[in-house]
Amino acid sequence: MIQTPILKPGPRQDGPHPDHAAAGRPQPSAPVVRIENLVKRYGAYVALHEIGFELKSGEVVAIIGPSGSGKSTLLRCVNQLEQPDGGCITVAGQRFEGGKEHSRAALDTLRRTVGMVFQSFNLFPHMTILRNVSIAQERVAGRSRKDAEDRAMHLLARVGLADKAGQYPARCSGGQQQRIAIARALALDPQIMLFDEPTSALDPELGLEVLAVMRELAESGMTMIVVTHEMRFAENVSDRVVVMADGRVIEEGPSRELMRDPKTERTQRFLHAVRDR
Amino acid sequence: MSEILEFWGEWLPTLLDGLLVSLKVTAASLALGIPLGLVLALAVKAKSAPLRIAALIAVEIGRGTPALVLLQFTYFGLASTGLTLSSYAAAVAALAACTGAYTSEIIRAGLEAVPQGQSEAAIAIGFSRMDQLRYVVLPQGLRIAVPPLLGFSILIFQSTSLCYAIALPELMSQAYSVGSNTFRYMPILILAGLLFAAICIPATLLVSRLEHRLDRHTR
Repeated sequence: MIQTPILKPGPRQDGPHPDHAAAGRPQPSAPVVRIENLVKRYGAYVALHEIGFELKSGEVVAIIGPSGSGKSTLLRCVNQLEQPDGGCITVAGQRFEGGKEHSRAALDTLRRTVGMVFQSFNLFPHMTILRNVSIAQERVAGRSRKDAEDRAMHLLARVGLADKAGQYPARCSGGQQQRIAIARALALDPQIMLFDEPTSALDPELGLEVLAVMRELAESGMTMIVVTHEMRFAENVSDRVVVMADGRVIEEGPSRELMRDPKTERTQRFLHAVRDR
Repeated sequence: MSEILEFWGEWLPTLLDGLLVSLKVTAASLALGIPLGLVLALAVKAKSAPLRIAALIAVEIGRGTPALVLLQFTYFGLASTGLTLSSYAAAVAALAACTGAYTSEIIRAGLEAVPQGQSEAAIAIGFSRMDQLRYVVLPQGLRIAVPPLLGFSILIFQSTSLCYAIALPELMSQAYSVGSNTFRYMPILILAGLLFAAICIPATLLVSRLEHRLDRHTR
């Protein structure tokens, strides 16, 4: 793992890092997410063994690998839904060291910087679709009801569901619910979007409409980390692919190259198995 | 038969006075007890260990003690320490304590039935712990808890009959005193039973209707 020491540990772990004055708008070449030696344990079981990789602004990275390899755990560590036990994650200039408590302010900034889409959508079933997309803008970003709803309508139009605004999630198909979940995650204008197997709970044709939204998002320059079993998406939409197995990164590289000509035997076996289905 | 109806007609106003007292005690006990149950349910899940343990003890005492013992304790027991409550206040205090303890378990079960993914989604969009509760977990958890809470409310209404033991002039006491004055226990107790049923049976039907309606958005 090659790492240039741009980021030295700051005097305080919370608050913006002095080296990143423009933390809200990283330079195109600067890594916007940097994961170093990340360790996550559940009791004696080690889910992540010293994981490391970087993500530049505007880059789309697909994480693939067999189930149980730690892909989702890694993703959930990026926005601190899981607290890592060791190593460090730097997001938009803010360092989060494993095994330490983080201040409320640091976590608030992190969650506004990072949007997340879940495998099971997790829309709020008791709120209308419009409310699902507008509420965080009011409660977290302090926007007025009107501004929040205008922005929500704009986002719903972007995912093609403006006509559903007044309905409840249970009335929508899985694909529609996931597109709404994407709109909800985009509502706080995140710099980075995390996708945790966004199409795994969907029928293939419903998955396609979600993938189309994700592709459009990638083309608009959004920085994305996508845990996926969609090999075509990994190959054609993402810039880079990271292959994980048994809690380790076993291979990473530019997506076309890696998907067509994997170097490690483990990756070859995995790709062979999923493509044979 | 017409003789019984005549007897009922004569004493019905007395029993209706008692029914009104029963309903007032029920309403006051629920109005104090269910919010107490919510507080206990949240305290039992709190991060702070002393708070959690205190809440657990309160819940277990409340659930472990028969309502009749709680009633006697608040009316006669507290009086011996110098705190004298009217039979109405003692009844409300005891039944509210009982309601708090039981409903805390109902509410806790409701909150725990909200899928983990809901909280995770709320965290991921930056909600504070307070907002997670207020906008995501409580609306869904309490909705799950509403039917059992209403069912419990019917039980509390029936338990007000225990208050005859602390001389509260509720429905049961009124029936009992009519019985002891006229020596006609059978017809007056039947009338009391019919009045209880006249409240409880429609209430039960209403609860199951409501249960159906609450499912609307989630099914």
